Amino acid sequence: MDEKVGKFWDHYVTKKASRLFKEEEIVFADIAKRLKLFYHLLGGEKAKELHITDKRSIKTSRTLLEKFSGTGKTFFLAWQDEKGIYLPSSLSYFPLRAYNEMHYYWLIAMLANVNIKTKKIENENINAANGLIEKYAGFSEFYAYAHPFLITNYPELSTIESSSEGSSADNYPNPLWIYPSLSTSGKLLTTEDEEDVERQNDEPRKSETLQMKKKSEQIDDKKETDGLLLFLPESILSFMEQVRVDRQENDSFDEDALYNAEDLDEITLGQKDANLSARIKMDLDISANSIEEYPLGKGHFIDEWDYKYEVYLKNYVCIKPIVSLHTEPIELPKRLEKMMRCIQSELDLMELDRIKRDNLPYGDEINIDTWIDYKGHQNRSNHPQRFFETFERKTRDMSTLILADVSLSTEAGITQEIRVIDMIQDALMVFSESLHRLQDRFAIYTFSSIKNTKVNFHLIKNFKESYNDNVRGRIHAIKPGYYTRMGAGIRESAKILEKQQSANKLLLILSDGKPNDVDRYDGRYGIEDTKKAIEEVKQKGITPFCITIDIDAKEYLPYLFGRNSYAVIRDAKKLPKVLPEIYMNLTK
Amino acid sequence: MSKMYYVPQGNEIELFKAAAGMNLPVLIKGPTGCGKTRFIEAMGEELGRDVYTVVCHDDLSAADLVGRHLIDENGTYWQDGPLTKAVRNGGICYLDEIIEARKDTTVVLHSLADYRRVLPIDRTGEVIAAHPDFMLVVSYNPGYQNILKGMKPSTKQRFISLSFDYPSPEIEKQILLKESGVEDSIAQKLVAIAGEIRRLSDSDIQEAVSTRLLIYAGKLIAHGFDPYQACIHSIVESLSDEEDVLEVLEKLISLHFTKSINA
Repeated sequence: MDEKVGKFWDHYVTKKASRLFKEEEIVFADIAKRLKLFYHLLGGEKAKELHITDKRSIKTSRTLLEKFSGTGKTFFLAWQDEKGIYLPSSLSYFPLRAYNEMHYYWLIAMLANVNIKTKKIENENINAANGLIEKYAGFSEFYAYAHPFLITNYPELSTIESSSEGSSADNYPNPLWIYPSLSTSGKLLTTEDEEDVERQNDEPRKSETLQMKKKSEQIDDKKETDGLLLFLPESILSFMEQVRVDRQENDSFDEDALYNAEDLDEITLGQKDANLSARIKMDLDISANSIEEYPLGKGHFIDEWDYKYEVYLKNYVCIKPIVSLHTEPIELPKRLEKMMRCIQSELDLMELDRIKRDNLPYGDEINIDTWIDYKGHQNRSNHPQRFFETFERKTRDMSTLILADVSLSTEAGITQEIRVIDMIQDALMVFSESLHRLQDRFAIYTFSSIKNTKVNFHLIKNFKESYNDNVRGRIHAIKPGYYTRMGAGIRESAKILEKQQSANKLLLILSDGKPNDVDRYDGRYGIEDTKKAIEEVKQKGITPFCITIDIDAKEYLPYLFGRNSYAVIRDAKKLPKVLPEIYMNLTK
Repeated sequence: MSKMYYVPQGNEIELFKAAAGMNLPVLIKGPTGCGKTRFIEAMGEELGRDVYTVVCHDDLSAADLVGRHLIDENGTYWQDGPLTKAVRNGGICYLDEIIEARKDTTVVLHSLADYRRVLPIDRTGEVIAAHPDFMLVVSYNPGYQNILKGMKPSTKQRFISLSFDYPSPEIEKQILLKESGVEDSIAQKLVAIAGEIRRLSDSDIQEAVSTRLLIYAGKLIAHGFDPYQACIHSIVESLSDEEDVLEVLEKLISLHFTKSINA
């Protein structure tokens, strides 16, 4: 009973204290895509991603009611760092949906205009705001409404205007402003968090999986004395402010720590390494080369692009070409034969797509032009009298290199029995079969990487080899590898494709996710390197095209490949069927 | 006759004139609606040469360019194609969107586009030496290319290339003022909108807003249309069919030309 009353009271007081308009709330997830477009429109950096931010606690003067209810201490603020921009998960400061929505657009516009590195937040924000008001009539109208409204509703805000000096943290945060990144070092802890972010009102709401950024702060805990407990007994039931979150090792994580992390506003990151046993386990995860893999030479080095310094890291990545030996030659599996028959009918249609050849001594139809020409010719006996025309299959001057990403993530299951890698294998088989029947030249390679020192580049079929049971055997023997250093794979493939004599060269990349590796090749670094590699490919006159089963790929693929050069396949099981179709559409 | 209005973006007029003086063929690249065709027409007027425009398509045969025999009551007779006409009489032969034409079609241009400057017509056995005022100009839009379509390097390398882009904001504003007769402040805003939309391009929308569309918007506004409505119909709806994109573009327009937020 007590508990119930308490809950009720809490609910009542929080609601009373809250000065938000929950009924008119706008949720970020609903308009995320539009906001991203808008961010691009206003000139925001395209490699940055949009995230939901966690609340930040800020020392402020609170109203009596807020002190009672425990609200008003933490805030969802908009901020950015060099990797992305972070916005509140929902906004409801204003009593009208239209204004709340506008508030998001306003924040985006501010984010696109505010200088991220500045120290004087006040000046920067005021300047940016003035710029927007001057430039856009719509924003000026919004600001003319929002600014006075916020000041009347949150009288604390007016202090900002008066005190231009002094630390901003002591002021009440302005919801219209952009705040600097939390940690100066730019190190942030990302937690995959299914919990409710919105606890400001203690209103339990269901929310989707969120990428939350927790405030992180680095402390030096290396000197911590082992075995000696240094805390007051009465604090034993409270969460410790310092949680050991293991960042060195991705495989295991302390669930308790994660659980606590959700409730702590601030996570302190320790710099202590994971213990030795964990490290050993890591190394053991990567099995020694299996016997049947035969390296072709010691490997060679290629460059990589570092976007931060805008330079190529010369000979930075080591490519190790490998071929699997002693694989068992196999025929086309029975389960694929039916699909192949289905595709065959489409292949036949391809052959219908033919070009007209005229000036033939015999053929399917009379070419009226030639006949008239003959009639008008002065010396008819001298005329070649080739009156016929016929439709012939286009000669396709094509070389296609298929580069399949076989990172560890392809081990993931689609259903209980089928893994992504199985689908990739099937797709490659059906695809090779189709190209073989179309008599197009093609090669197949797969790649996976562990850091820049080892990018395994498996040869499945090169351009010279004819398609046969051995190739199928090698496709069958493809195993998931490690990580996806996509830029390296693309550059190496381009080198091979470049040597081909065909007029048309197609690089078909089969992928299941973003470029990533265990070192810094992750996030923006990987994206930018891959983008650079794609640019190089295009310069060489090769057409890149990416086929992915990553549903989130729409976020980054347009940036990497351009709008018309990628396809997202939602259902990985359809991959074998869709791959030849995409190819046929591309080369029609 | 009033002179055709064209504002140069850079040194293209000097280049074009020099190329015309030296009988060099010209290739013009650029996105849609950035003024390629207008430029050629203006140059034709400036140089006092006729412009023969051929819009290329994938069924365009060499006969469509060179000419063919036709029949009338007296029997057959030869009809010159636009290319042959320009070669005989002098003038600018302008092949628009040359990429769309089949590669084997464009090979007939080869002997015209190098030092020989002759057009052999095998149907009539004629070899026509080009008129001193004959000039070959081709254009294409590098934006929408099919993987298998592209210019043969051997064709591409016979031309002086001019790369066009959308005009700079100041020039674009001038063009808008002149072409649509819209007010200065509105032209300024239209140019700002275009500048923002052009940042999207490639990854989010197929092709950015062209100067041509801005002029349309300007004309509607000058005619008395509500600026917001004019922009929605001339700019936003023409650029995309995707709902999200439309929504955001609409938002952008409403920021520049306010539609009351309460409405």
